Amino acid sequence: MNKFWIVFSHEYLRHVKRKRFILGLISIPLFMAVIMGVSILAAALSEDNRPVGFIDQSGLFKDAQPQPAKRSGLFVTQVKIVPFANETEARNALDDGEIQAFYIIQPDYYATGNVKMIAQDSVDSNIHRDFSEYLLAHLLKNENPTIRTRILEGPELVLRTFDSDQQFNSRNPFGFLIAIFSGVIFMLAVNTSGGYLLQAVVEEKENRTMEVILTSLSTDQFMAGKIFGNLSVGLTQLLFWLLMAGVAALFALRAFPDLRDVGIGFSFFSLMALTFLPAFVMIAALMTMVGSTATESREAQQIAGLFSLPIAIPFWFIAAIMENPNGPLAIGFSFFPFTAPMTLPLRSMLTNLPAWQVGLSIGILILAAAASIWLASRAFRLGMLRYGKKLTLAEILRPR
Amino acid sequence: MSSIKVNQISKRFGNQQAVDRVSFEVEPGEIFGLLGPNGAGKTTSIRIILDIFKPDSGEVEILGGKMTDEKKNQIGYLPEERGLYQDITLEVCLNYLARLKGLKPAEAAARVEQMMKRFDLYDHRKKKVKELSKGMQQKAQLIITLVHDPQLVIIDEPFSALDPVNTQMVKDLLREERDKGKTIVMCTHQMHQVEELCDRLVLINHGKVMLYGKLSDIRRQYSGQEVIVHPLNELPAQIPGVSRIDRDNSGYILHLADQTTPQAILKNLVEQGIPLERFEVALPTLDEIFIQVVTSRGEVS
Repeated sequence: MNKFWIVFSHEYLRHVKRKRFILGLISIPLFMAVIMGVSILAAALSEDNRPVGFIDQSGLFKDAQPQPAKRSGLFVTQVKIVPFANETEARNALDDGEIQAFYIIQPDYYATGNVKMIAQDSVDSNIHRDFSEYLLAHLLKNENPTIRTRILEGPELVLRTFDSDQQFNSRNPFGFLIAIFSGVIFMLAVNTSGGYLLQAVVEEKENRTMEVILTSLSTDQFMAGKIFGNLSVGLTQLLFWLLMAGVAALFALRAFPDLRDVGIGFSFFSLMALTFLPAFVMIAALMTMVGSTATESREAQQIAGLFSLPIAIPFWFIAAIMENPNGPLAIGFSFFPFTAPMTLPLRSMLTNLPAWQVGLSIGILILAAAASIWLASRAFRLGMLRYGKKLTLAEILRPR
Repeated sequence: MSSIKVNQISKRFGNQQAVDRVSFEVEPGEIFGLLGPNGAGKTTSIRIILDIFKPDSGEVEILGGKMTDEKKNQIGYLPEERGLYQDITLEVCLNYLARLKGLKPAEAAARVEQMMKRFDLYDHRKKKVKELSKGMQQKAQLIITLVHDPQLVIIDEPFSALDPVNTQMVKDLLREERDKGKTIVMCTHQMHQVEELCDRLVLINHGKVMLYGKLSDIRRQYSGQEVIVHPLNELPAQIPGVSRIDRDNSGYILHLADQTTPQAILKNLVEQGIPLERFEVALPTLDEIFIQVVTSRGEVS
C-alpha cells in the first residue's frame, strides 16, 4: 500500500475511532431532533382537531358533499365539517365539546356572502379557508372541472428573472433558513477538521517524530496524507450531519406538506459544494501552515483563530445582507475568500446572482486554496525540524 | 561498494559553518563511530546523509547511489531528538511507524510483537506512550530503528537514558546486527562505548574532520611516547632515551625522549639482560585522544 494511504488511514481512524468524536458527531443531530420533537409535540398538542358545524339558513347547501381530503401530514389533519339542522342543536354540540365552532350561513348568502361564526375560542385560519372552499366547491359543482379547479386554487405565482434560470417561489421563506443551516454545519466541520489538523501538525513537532518520518517517506506524501486524513474527519462529520438533515427534511416533508414548495434545487447544492470545498481545503492548508510555524499547540490555536473567525463574519452582518443582497457589503464579502463560502449561498437564496460574480468568487476561492497549499508545503518543509523555534512568514516566502 | 560515501560536503546555516568539506566512507558490515563534541556538526552530517537537508556543496552516496524512497525502507535511524507519538498506545505507535518502513500489516504486527518481547515491553503494549518511562521510550525507539531489518542502521547516542542492563543488551544487539552483515553508524561522545564497539571512526570538530581511520591505527598514531614495563627485578636508574620513569602499581611507566621508539628501548633492556615480565606500548585511551584533538584543533587533510 502506498505510504500516503498508511498516513491517511492512521490520521483518519485515530480521530474517528475516538469516543469524543463519535459523541460530537451524534450529539448535534440528537440535540436538533430533541428540539424539533419538543416543538412538534407542543404544536400537535395545542392543535384542535374537533369538527366544525354549520347551519344552512340560505337553503343553498342542502345536499353538499364532504370535501375530499387534500392536505395530509403526520400532524395536520383536516377538520371535518358537519351540518346541523338548527342553531340549538349546534349550540348543544358546542357546549358538549363535540365541535369546536359552528358557522351560520345567512339567508341572504347568495347576495352578500354573509356567514356568522360562533365559537368559544379562536379558530385556526386554515379552518376558515377550508370552510369557504367547501362552500365554493358546492356552488361550482356543475361548472367545468378545469375552471372549477382554477377558481378554487387561484394563480400559482412564480418569480423569474430575465438573465438566468433562477426562480423564486412566492411561498418560500425556507430556502434562506437552509442556506444558514448549511453554513453553520460547514463552519462546525471546518472547525473540527482545522482543529484536528492543527493538532496533528503541531504534535509532530512537539513529539519530535519528524526525523523518523522523513527517513521513512517523502514530505509530500506525509503532508498530503495528514491533510487529507484530517480533512476527511471533517467531511465525515459534514456528510453525516447533512445526511441527518436530509432524513429530518424527509420527515418534515411528510409532517408539513407545505414545505414541498421550497425552491431549492441542484443549482443551490452545486453552488454550495463549489464554495465549501475550496474553502475547506484553504482553511486546512492554512492550519497546516500555522501548525508548522508555531512551536506549541496553545500558540498555534491562538493564531488559528485568526483564520477560522472571519468565516463567521457574514453572520454578524446578516441583517444588512438580507436587506440589500446586492449591496457593496454583500458583494465585497462574496469576493473575500474567507467570507465567500457563507455569503454566496445566502445571497443565492435572496437574489439573482450574476454569473460573473459566482465565477469570480469561486475562482478567487480556488486560487486562495492553491496558494494556501503552496504556502503550507513550504512552511511544513522548513518548519518541521525547527524544534522550539518559530518560523516567520518572511522565511517561508524567501526564495531558495 | 561503500554503504555510505560522503564526499566533501559543506553546509552553512546563516553565519555558522555547520559542516565544512567533510569526507568519509562507511564500509558494509562494520560498526562505524561518528564522534565529536556537542555542536561539532555530527547531527547535520547525518541529516545530510539521510537527505533531510541538502548540502550546499559536495555529495553523498548511500547504499550505492542517491537516496530514494525504496532505500528508506532499508535504513533504520535513531535520531538524537527522540520522538514518539505520545497520545496513542505503544502497540499502535510501533505498528504505524513499522508500516511506514514498508512492512505489510501482518508482518509489522508479528515483528513488533517479537521485538517488544525481546525488549521487555510486551506487557506495556496497551499503555499510552506518554505513560512509559524514559528508558522504555528509548527501547521503543530502538525497536522502530530495527524492526524492518534494515541494511544500514544510523543511531545517535544509543545508550542515553539506558541502565547498565539495557546498555549491555543494546551492545549485544548491535554486535549481533553487525555479525549478520548490517552496517552500523554510531554517533556518540561516549568514548568507552566507541572503543568497545567500533571498528573505524571519524572525529568531527567545528564541522571539520579531525581524525579518520581504524580505531587501532588511530590509537597507535597517538601512542609511542610511553611504555609500560614490568621487570622481574629492579630497573636501572638510567635508561638511554628515557626522559622520566614513574612507578605504576607493580611496574613502571617510561616516558620516552623525542625520536626514541619503544623498539629501541626494548632492544636496550634485552641487551642489558634485564628480565621482563611485561613490555607494552601504552596506547592512549580514545578519551585522551579526543580531548587532545578537540583542544588542539588540528585538522586532518
